[in-house]
Amino acid sequence: MNNYLIVASIIFCIGAFGVIVRKNLIVVFMSLELMFNAANLGFAAVSNRLNLISGDIFVIFVIVVAAAEAAIALGIAIAFYREKGTVDIDKANELKN
Amino acid sequence: MGALFYIFSFIAIFSALMVISMRNPLTSALYLVLCFFALAGFYVMLDMQFLAAMQILVYAGAIMVLVVLVIMLLNISRIKKNGSDLHQKIIGGLISLILFAEIVLYVINGAQKKPAGIFTRALIKKIGNTQLIGEFLFTEYMLPFEIASVLLFVAIIGAYLFAKKKY
Repeated sequence: MNNYLIVASIIFCIGAFGVIVRKNLIVVFMSLELMFNAANLGFAAVSNRLNLISGDIFVIFVIVVAAAEAAIALGIAIAFYREKGTVDIDKANELKN
Repeated sequence: MGALFYIFSFIAIFSALMVISMRNPLTSALYLVLCFFALAGFYVMLDMQFLAAMQILVYAGAIMVLVVLVIMLLNISRIKKNGSDLHQKIIGGLISLILFAEIVLYVINGAQKKPAGIFTRALIKKIGNTQLIGEFLFTEYMLPFEIASVLLFVAIIGAYLFAKKKY
């Protein structure tokens, strides 16, 4: 189990680095999906080791929530592009458009 | 931990690094799909076949198709840099390194050693992962299941509202 958790934490930290550093809104969202998947892998590994089934159920619900959030996030990206003309998040520096 | 674990982990970590470092967002999306396939391989190794199939169907098949559609629709290419952002990369690297050290500390020192449930690997192989998940999803976890359907409905309405041109 420790090996799976260490791989999951590596992927989580790579995703966190991508969320902090990248300027493109879509790439930030994709790094966020990396973090979700790393957490899923952590849940699955612990559920495998501790002989539980609730870890599997939680992974299913995390996938469902990530799908719903993907739809909203891409809607935000489209609305952002419509207002600013680009998806550069450095242009999102005012509260009013 | 056989060689298969190391192959899958190498593919997953390599494609995760490629996701955050490619300039073209479309290449990042394709490497993310590769990462999802490697993670599905992990799920199969952990005897969770339903989760592996659901990961490929939902993540690689629906979410990434939507992301690639949006990239193509908005015609996003690389964003031009107007200054050096090395300090941002250094701070980001420090934060994720500290996060990684903390997580590894917890993993190595605080791992539970005794199994806590009743579903051993042999039992899950006998009954079947899909059947077990189906049983539990419709009896014990019925409330989160219904709430998840409401959540998806809310997401559909929200996405429609974002895409409207005027209110």
